[in-house]
Amino acid sequence: MGNRVWLYIGLILINLQVFGQDIPAKPNGYVLDQAGLMKSDEVQQLEQKLRGYADTTSTQFAIVLVPTIGNSDPYDYAIAIGKTWGVGQKDKNNGVVILVSMNNRKIRIVTGRGIEDVLPDATCKRIINRILKPYFKRGDYYGGLDVATTEMMQRASGQFQSEGSTDSEGIPVVVIIVLVFVVLTLINAYRNRNGGSGPGSHGGGMFFPPVFFGGGGFDRGGSSGGGGFDFGGFGGGDFGGGGAGGDF
Amino acid sequence: MNKKIWIGLGVIALVIFWGIGSRNSMATSDQEVKASWANVQSAYQRRSDLIPNLVKTVQGVANFEKSTLTAVIQARASATQMKLDAKDLSPENLQKFQAAQSSLSGALSRLLVVTENYPQLRATENFSELQAQLEGTENRIKEERDRFNTSVKNYNSIIVTFPSNLIASFSGFAEKGFFQAEAGSEKAPEVNFDEKK
Repeated sequence: MGNRVWLYIGLILINLQVFGQDIPAKPNGYVLDQAGLMKSDEVQQLEQKLRGYADTTSTQFAIVLVPTIGNSDPYDYAIAIGKTWGVGQKDKNNGVVILVSMNNRKIRIVTGRGIEDVLPDATCKRIINRILKPYFKRGDYYGGLDVATTEMMQRASGQFQSEGSTDSEGIPVVVIIVLVFVVLTLINAYRNRNGGSGPGSHGGGMFFPPVFFGGGGFDRGGSSGGGGFDFGGFGGGDFGGGGAGGDF
Repeated sequence: MNKKIWIGLGVIALVIFWGIGSRNSMATSDQEVKASWANVQSAYQRRSDLIPNLVKTVQGVANFEKSTLTAVIQARASATQMKLDAKDLSPENLQKFQAAQSSLSGALSRLLVVTENYPQLRATENFSELQAQLEGTENRIKEERDRFNTSVKNYNSIIVTFPSNLIASFSGFAEKGFFQAEAGSEKAPEVNFDEKK
């Protein structure tokens, strides 16, 4: 009996150790460069690429560059990020986390349970050895990550689709809102042209509370406006231990 | 008089319903344990499947130390012999299963240590990828074991707490075993392979 109590305590401690790690707070995007290894336009470019890929295939990448991971094991650290942020879709578990830690010069890729088939451990290792390592050694972090993600995307393509039968409602709502917005704007513009400052323009104005204009700026940041959509968000994917690690 | 009989019957009916409900939740939780056990086994199987590949790669290197290699092969054989059905996951059986698997883990980690003396082997891409795969399976095993332990914890807490433990003993739901956190898992367990030669 006493034995079991200790076991419970041990399990709790293990959990605390894994999830109590000082991982960064969930960012508002797919790329988090805390180590400052890339220029801001490079981060933007990578972000756009990953966002576009996530939108079309639902597969989510998280790229995390940190100055240090403390004493943690790179695997534990990366998987804590994947699980806590929920990278990948909940029902598909198609998330990938690429962690780069500067203090010990470690690379760690972890793959979601659903994507292990297309990105097996050996492939991840090969990507680290052949792509990430040589680029990183030259100090070209953006180049390495760009080529590596392209390679991974090519392998994962066709495996997942964004508009599966289950979440087909999710995207159309956004599309409809945008369409309605566009149509109403056109009508408004038309009325304004016709009516000038007459009563018609006031009538039209009622369709567009200021909030809409604030949120509908279509900036890629997206989250600034009236509580709009924050980059789609991570989907709650799960991880089962796949991936590979290496040094550079 | 009549009233008392009705009240009595009502209480009995309530107890029966509670019993059925409680038994059903045990069955559900039992299913969860079985499902997570299947995942544990396939994670171990995955490791076992990698070993022939590893052995072949390592054997290719001239004058590789034979004893560590045979230790791995033997440990694998005895680990695969140790089949444990989801029906008999008693603490004792689970402990035996874990012992067999961890002697394989020990033999494998010794082999990997020995490979460090063979830089020409470690430099090959094949070996590097194989090592990544092995690392991956160990991580998967860890993951699945954690999940299994969680499901057993749920199940056991239903089975052993009063009053549902009465129903459990009545319908044959027994306590199940955990994977114990391996004390000093870095330290490879002592395996004496001179004996079997």
